[in-house]
Amino acid sequence: MKPPPANAIVNQLVAHTLGLLVFGGSLGLGAVWMRQEIFSAANRNRTLEVKIADAERRLDEIDAEVATAMNPDSLLTRNSGLRLALGAPREPQVIRVNESPELRLAAKLNREIFTIGRPDAGSETVSFQVVPAAYH
Amino acid sequence: MSKGFASNARMTLLAVGVLTCFLSIGVRLVFLQVVDRDNLLHYVEKARRQIMVDHARRGAILDAKGNLLATSRTFVVVGADPEMLQPDDARRWPELAQLLNLPETQVDNLLRRGMASAKLAQSAPAASGENERRVRWVKLADEVDERVYDRVAQLAIRGVYGQRGYKRVYPDGELAAHILGFVNHEGAAVTGAERHLDLYLRGQDGWIESEKDGARRELAQFRSREVPVLNGDDVVLTIDSVVQHMIEEELRTIAAKFDPHFATIIVSDPQTGRILGMANYPTFNPNDFSKVSVDSLRNYAVTDIIEPGSTFKIVAAGAALDQGLVTPATMFDCGNPLITYKGRQLRLPKEDEPFGELSVADIVAHSSNRGAAQLAMLLGEQRFYDYARRYGFGASTDFELGGEVRGILEPPEKWDSLTITRMPMGHSVAATPLQIHMAMSAVANGGALLRPQIIKEIRDPEGNVLRTFVPEKRAQVLRPSTAALLAQLLTRVVTEGTAKGYEIPGFELAGKTGTTEKLINGHYVTNRHVSSFVGFFPASKPQVVVSVIVDDAKMPGGVTAYGSKVAAPSFKHLAEQLIQYLDIAPVQAPDRGLLALGGAR
Repeated sequence: MKPPPANAIVNQLVAHTLGLLVFGGSLGLGAVWMRQEIFSAANRNRTLEVKIADAERRLDEIDAEVATAMNPDSLLTRNSGLRLALGAPREPQVIRVNESPELRLAAKLNREIFTIGRPDAGSETVSFQVVPAAYH
Repeated sequence: MSKGFASNARMTLLAVGVLTCFLSIGVRLVFLQVVDRDNLLHYVEKARRQIMVDHARRGAILDAKGNLLATSRTFVVVGADPEMLQPDDARRWPELAQLLNLPETQVDNLLRRGMASAKLAQSAPAASGENERRVRWVKLADEVDERVYDRVAQLAIRGVYGQRGYKRVYPDGELAAHILGFVNHEGAAVTGAERHLDLYLRGQDGWIESEKDGARRELAQFRSREVPVLNGDDVVLTIDSVVQHMIEEELRTIAAKFDPHFATIIVSDPQTGRILGMANYPTFNPNDFSKVSVDSLRNYAVTDIIEPGSTFKIVAAGAALDQGLVTPATMFDCGNPLITYKGRQLRLPKEDEPFGELSVADIVAHSSNRGAAQLAMLLGEQRFYDYARRYGFGASTDFELGGEVRGILEPPEKWDSLTITRMPMGHSVAATPLQIHMAMSAVANGGALLRPQIIKEIRDPEGNVLRTFVPEKRAQVLRPSTAALLAQLLTRVVTEGTAKGYEIPGFELAGKTGTTEKLINGHYVTNRHVSSFVGFFPASKPQVVVSVIVDDAKMPGGVTAYGSKVAAPSFKHLAEQLIQYLDIAPVQAPDRGLLALGGAR
């Protein structure tokens, strides 16, 4: 068998070298693309981080503004400014209810209805017994 | 076989060319990576590497209901990099000046001067001196609001940008100023909770080691090291903003009426020792701490001592009852100014009004100095001293925010012969308002001396509870039965004693007035007093302890500033408000309530 001519070997070598260059170039481009993706992802992350920090900062700002608006002095100023005349109850205004509030309100309502209908309302003591609906 | 497209000469030429290219690249790489490595690395490091510090946000301070008492707000320092400013943007400078609330000429001058110096430095660096630093930052405005900065950013003026920082703010202004303390302009916590809880509040700065491009933007993909920021924890206090506001309003009233040297009001829960409110006059606004006198910064409730006066009589009365030496009905001669004690005749202190025979109950109700002295004599110096110590006098209360003094309570070995007659009425002893308050609290809660609690819990920035503070008992002062008995005796102070007329029907107010002549230059003066009322309610089921202490109240017409005249009205006024706010039910329902409940008309 005859050995292959020298030119053929060189041709093969050139072809392989070109192939290698193409392969290396592809790897290089791949690496660049990967770096670019890493860059994009890192920037997206950073943007998100900035956005989150910004949102948190704005929440804190709003919290502080709400706290300032709700401080007792501000509320009192608004109360007088808007002429609301709101105030804490005083002890003589308070009646503490130990029984069921529903029954108590029902009794009060009935008492008012009967009193309005009577011409001699207030002249004598009226007492009521509240019967819950479940007994009917 | 084909010879291919290349001749030997061409192939050789190509091979030599390729090899030369590779060789030159290799040589260049050797120069870059080996020969000039250090210089280039230094240059790159300087030009591209950056360390960005991410400042931790200081934790918030909240009240027991979650209301913000102290928080950190971001602010922006707006400035410009003169080297990046563009002449074309000058038409937007007036708008910038308007947003920053600055005169147009000032902004114009600052920016033009900066541009001129930057241009000079760029064109002739040698002329400006090689060692001279280039100006890359001209400050335009401090503490610009975030919203304003958003509008500044919308102007898109190249080279104008802001640097963010945190500023400590106290949304409620003066509210609870002495408890909160403040953080100074350097960011150092100076007093109060800010200082003593700094470890929790301050957090830990984070940092990022990264690279930047030519426009100084971070190249996030080159981050090499990153230490995340740890924001500070939130501190929840036991105080209630509404209660705190009530007592501060009351202090303002006291200040307007009596112009005292100082005044202190403390409100706490006797069962847990939790402080619901603590305030002093004079006070300050922590947002403007630099504009007030040093005296206004003092938390008088813990930093200053006073002679407790008659409020100290709970020591002698409680101890004598606890030891079974007397009953409420035991009688004492309080009319005789002389008494023989351990073979020596001693002069008893003066009374404010002449008394004859008084029972122990009357001694407490009418605040008899001679009666209290005789109770202490029954106990003897050592036992009386031991009880005073158990009540917490002469020792730190372990107040969590520090800054407190121990007070003065000398041991019997250092007493003179008259001390046993004077100390029971609150002379020859000195205590902080908080010590007096906690002593009365011990009577209210069944005899246990508790540590005053001001911190409720610590929360991380996400709101998870890291640590909860629980009530701490320091000593058992009295047996529970004795404490309950003494509490009932103290109700008579309000119904028929020194504070008569200040009762609230149904709520069993109990307390003790105190009026002490001030000790000035070693002598008691008769025209300057410390007035106090320390009490609690309802006596049979105490839910709140209130101390009102007013130092050197100026009374109209030079009248003596009795505790009953100065402090007791404030106590009652506060009690009325606290009853409603804390929903304290009456022990005995008033008659009008019973009628209403009966439905009669």
